[in-house]
Amino acid sequence: MIMSRRQKVLVIDDSQQMHPLIQVRLRGLGVELISAYDGQTGLKIATEEPPDLILLDVNMPGMSGFEVCQVLKESSQTHDIPVIFLTGADESVNKVKGFDLGAVDYVTKPFDPAELCARVRAALNTKALMDLLTTQGQIDGLTGLHNRRYFDERLGQELAAGHRYERPVGLLMIDLDHFKSINDTFGHPKGDQVLRKFADVLTQTCRATDVTCRYGGEEFAVILPASTLELSHQCGVRVLDAIRKCPDFVDIIGRPVTASIGVACAVPSDRMTPAVLVEAADKALYAAKVAGRDRIAAAELAHSQTVV
Amino acid sequence: MQDRPSIAPGVNTEHFNADQEPLTSQFAADPDMLELIGMFVRELPARVESLQQALARSDLATLSQVAHQLKGAGGGYGFPSITSSAAEVERLVKAKAEVDSLHEAVSDLISLCRRASSNPR
Ligand SMILES: [Mg+2]
Repeated sequence: MIMSRRQKVLVIDDSQQMHPLIQVRLRGLGVELISAYDGQTGLKIATEEPPDLILLDVNMPGMSGFEVCQVLKESSQTHDIPVIFLTGADESVNKVKGFDLGAVDYVTKPFDPAELCARVRAALNTKALMDLLTTQGQIDGLTGLHNRRYFDERLGQELAAGHRYERPVGLLMIDLDHFKSINDTFGHPKGDQVLRKFADVLTQTCRATDVTCRYGGEEFAVILPASTLELSHQCGVRVLDAIRKCPDFVDIIGRPVTASIGVACAVPSDRMTPAVLVEAADKALYAAKVAGRDRIAAAELAHSQTVV
Repeated sequence: MQDRPSIAPGVNTEHFNADQEPLTSQFAADPDMLELIGMFVRELPARVESLQQALARSDLATLSQVAHQLKGAGGGYGFPSITSSAAEVERLVKAKAEVDSLHEAVSDLISLCRRASSNPR
């Protein structure tokens, strides 16, 4: 096990007798169990002290398990917590609906102790790996793109390689237009959904060799190894087009979304640092914003940086 | 010392009836579970009372709720027959079944709850 701390499992079930039973059955896993007997209380606990896993009864008076899951998945504080649904063996529950809501698994009651243990252990292991990737690793937890730390490291490597082989390195700095007003108007859960969808579109639009990253907030960056300014510019235009036309944003917030891009490119000198290229692309991004957004602008790099 | 028939302790031959034989948890041999089963069984009379009252008042919501919880927990505590009997009650309430069949199903469930015992055989 890769965990250094004790993992927490929140059990939300209206049937009081389920709680001690699950406690005994999971004893061997060495996890800390927290109990909630209704959906509202469960949500409150999940938000205040996020557990590593939630065992969630589907059939509860008041708020159903499906409703609880939906709320969990809409909030940025709780959407990464894996959920295993508990259902009665005879209940014709729509399992697909549960998976669509973001559940990772199902356990039927009355459960087989070994099966419960195995499913819980599997979910906790995955959670521990995800934690490792997002906290010490190189993945942005919200979007699944590379994170800022990875970006800085990778851009340094690509510049060094570009210098060695005398080939250009392109960079796109991308900013979602008017994102603050999206958050203010529709709330952070919708804002998060927009960011995730944005990341999807970005990944689909760029080439497999391009390095897509979340730079921070609503700003994204794409490193384009071995790409001229013209190629990088074309990629940026494709991204803007795909974002503008993506119908999913309309589903999420009722209107389309646009972005602005600054593009920079250089055959790096041996002195060129990542900061120089980022700054150039950022300046171009600013120019694109000032010029009216939903467009791309190219950076002018000083001759000493050997602009392509 | 009185004359006693040589039979297993606790079994009254005169009133012997399979329907009243104690029902033992499948997990009674599991020391981890013993205490829990005891707790579960000790709470059953209260459940039986709720079922009886709900039946008398035709309080279908309570009937369904208690049955639902027994269904979920029964098998987990080693009493699968409680789970299936409770599932039947829940099903009949949902299906708006005839009062007679509902009475019968609830009586079955109550009888199983009364027979449930935490003593290992
Ligand atoms: Mg329930």
